[in-house]
Amino acid sequence: MWIFLARRIMVLIPTLIMIMIVGFVIMQLPTADFVDQYIMREASRGNTGVADQEAMLRLQFGLDQPMTVQFLHWAGGFLTGDFGISFADKREVSDIIMDRLPATLAIAFMAFVLSWGIGIPLGVYSATHQYQAGDVALTALAFVGIGLPDFLLALIFLVVAFYATGDVLMGLSSPDYVGQPMSWGKAVDFMSYAWLSVTAVAFTGMAFIMRVTRNNMLEELGKPYVMTLRAKGLPERVVIWRHVFRNAVHPLIMLLGQVLSFLVNGFAITSIVLNLPTIQSTYLQATLSQDTYLAGAILVLIALTVMLGNLISDILLAWIDPRVRYD
Amino acid sequence: MTDLAVPAAEPGAPARLAVLSVRQLMWRKFRRNRLAFIGMWVLIVMYLMAAFAGFLAPYGARETHAQFARTAPNGLHFFDETGAFHAIPFVYGLKVGMDPETFLQSTVRVEADKYPLRLFPVGEPYHLFGLIPAERRLFGVEGPGKIFLFGTDTRGRDLFSRVLYGAQVSLTVGLVGVILSLVLGISIGLVTGYYGGWMDSIVQRVIEMIQSFPQIPLWLALAALIPPTWSSAQVYFAISIVLSILTWGALARQVRAMVLSLKTSDFVRAALYSNASTTRIMFRHLLPSTLSHVLVIATLAIPAMILGETALSFLGLGIKSPLTSWGLLLNEAQSVQVIVETPWLLIPVIFVVLTIISFNFVGDGLRDAADPFAR
Repeated sequence: MWIFLARRIMVLIPTLIMIMIVGFVIMQLPTADFVDQYIMREASRGNTGVADQEAMLRLQFGLDQPMTVQFLHWAGGFLTGDFGISFADKREVSDIIMDRLPATLAIAFMAFVLSWGIGIPLGVYSATHQYQAGDVALTALAFVGIGLPDFLLALIFLVVAFYATGDVLMGLSSPDYVGQPMSWGKAVDFMSYAWLSVTAVAFTGMAFIMRVTRNNMLEELGKPYVMTLRAKGLPERVVIWRHVFRNAVHPLIMLLGQVLSFLVNGFAITSIVLNLPTIQSTYLQATLSQDTYLAGAILVLIALTVMLGNLISDILLAWIDPRVRYD
Repeated sequence: MTDLAVPAAEPGAPARLAVLSVRQLMWRKFRRNRLAFIGMWVLIVMYLMAAFAGFLAPYGARETHAQFARTAPNGLHFFDETGAFHAIPFVYGLKVGMDPETFLQSTVRVEADKYPLRLFPVGEPYHLFGLIPAERRLFGVEGPGKIFLFGTDTRGRDLFSRVLYGAQVSLTVGLVGVILSLVLGISIGLVTGYYGGWMDSIVQRVIEMIQSFPQIPLWLALAALIPPTWSSAQVYFAISIVLSILTWGALARQVRAMVLSLKTSDFVRAALYSNASTTRIMFRHLLPSTLSHVLVIATLAIPAMILGETALSFLGLGIKSPLTSWGLLLNEAQSVQVIVETPWLLIPVIFVVLTIISFNFVGDGLRDAADPFAR
C-alpha cells in the first residue's frame, strides 16, 4: 500500500513538470507576447507614448530573456511558493489565486455534495422502480442532463430565474455586498445567488451519477444472491441498502476522481457564462491576454486537483473493497 | 469466431434453422436496443439534413434580410385570422414598424398580405455537396414574402437556414477529430502492443501524462493559439486537431491491451508460421479483431468533441465566419437580455442536445452489440 502510494506520487511529479512545460510553451507560441498586445491596445486608444516603454516593460516582466531562462526562473519559483506576477494585474499570482480560491472551492464542494447526494438516491429509486413512470421521467431528465452542455443549462436557468424574480442572478453575490466583510447578511445573500450556479454546475454531474448508479444497481439486482436474501424474508429496505447498494457502490468510487475532475474542469465555461469569480474564468482571461504566469499557475493547480482526485479514488476503493490489491 | 445456429424467429412457420454470421448477430442485437435504433435514425436524418443543407434551406448561408433583423419565427399557417382553411399553407407578410413604448425597431405581421408556400422555387445559387451548382430550393414563398421558420438573428439572417448550414460544421468537426485520433491511436496502439519493450513503456507513461491533462483548460489554451489571420477552413481543421489531442491516448491504450492478449492467440501464431509479414499480421489479423471495440470508444468520444466545438465557438474561440456552427449561432445568445428579447436564438440548443443524446444511445447500443455472444 505505502509502496503503491509512493510510486503514484513519484509519477505525479514528472507529470506536473510536463504540464508546466506544455502550459508554458503554449502560452509562448504566439509571436505577439503580452507587451506587444498591451502596446497595441494602448496605441489603439491613442496612447502612443507607451511604445517607448516597450523595452522597460519587457525588462520588468523578464520577457527580454530567452524562453528557457524564463521557464526555469518561473518553475524554480514554484519550489519557494513564488508563482510569479500577473502582467495584467501587476499583482502576485498567488494573491490572485487566493482571492478566487474560496469561491471556487465553495461552488465545487456544494456542487459535488449536491450531485452525489441527489444523484445516488435517484439512481437507486430509478433502479428499484425500473420502467415505472418515475424511472422513465428520471431517465429522460438524465439524458437531457448529459446532452445539454452545462453552460447552456446555466444560461437557461438564468433566464428562468429572471422571469421568476426579475433579477439577473449573475455572479455570486449582489453588488451591495461586494467587498464587504463576511456577515450573516452576506452569507444569506451568497446563498440566494449561489444556488443557481451550483445547481447548473451540479446538474450534469448528477445526471451522470444517477445513470451509473442505476446501471450498477440493476446489474446487482439481477444476481442470484438477491433472490436468496428475499427468500430469507429480509425486508426490502435491508436487501436494497445493506446488500445490493453496498455492492453497487464500488464502481461509483472509481468514478469519484473522474467526477472531481469534471467539477473542476467542467464548470470552466459555466463560470464564464455566469460571471463567477472563480479561478477558471480568470484562467480564460489570462490565456487570452497571454498572462503566462497566471495561466500557467492555474493550469498546474487544476491538473494537480485532477490527479489528486484520481489518487484519492484509488485509495478509497482499496479501503472499501478488500478484494482490490496493489502489486 | 464461430457462427451460431439459431432458429429463425418466425412463430408458426415450420422450424427452420438459419446460420447467422457474427455481423448479422451484432445487427440483431443492435436492433433490439430500441433507443440505439432511434438514435441511429435521428443521426441519419441529421446528417442528411447537413448534406442537403443548400437544398433544404430556403435562404443562403450569408443572405441577409437587414430590414427584418430580430424577427420572431414567421411560420406556415393553414388557417387564416378568420379561421378559413387554406389547402396550401401560407405565411403572413411582414412590415417594419416601431414599438410605440420602447421606440425599438420591430417587425409586425401584416394580416392582409398572404404568401402561399411554393415548392422548388429558384433561390440564391448554391453548390450541392460543394460541387454541383444548383439554384432550386425545396421550399420558399413568393416575392416580398419571407419565410423564417425559426426567426432571424441580429443581422437578419434566417436562423432555420443557418441551423442547417451550421450542422455541416458541427456534425463533422467531431468526426474529423475522431478519425484523426483513430489513425493515431490505432497505429501507436498496434505498434507498442506488438513490439512491447522500452518504447512501449515510454509511450504508456506519455499517454498517462496526457490523460491527466485537464481537458477544457487545454482546449481553451490551444484554441486561443489559433491565429486570427487564418481562413475559416484552416480554423476548422485546427479545431478538430485541438479536439482530438486528448482522445487518441485512450484509443491507443485500448488497442494495445487487445493486441497484447491477441498476440499469443492461435490465429496470429499460424500467420507467423506461414511467413506472413509483420505489416500483414498487424493490419490483416490483429486490427480487425480490435476494430469493433475501438469503434465503440470512438462513437462515445464524438459527443464530447461536438460539445467541445460548441463550447469553444460559443466563447468565440472556435469556428469563425463565414463558416457557421451551432456553437457560433449560440454565441449571439450570450446574455439574459438577448434571450429574453429574442428567445428563438436558443433553438440550435435543441439540435445540439438531440445529436449528443443520439450519439450516446448509438454508442451504448454498439457497445452491447460489439459482443453479440454475451448473455
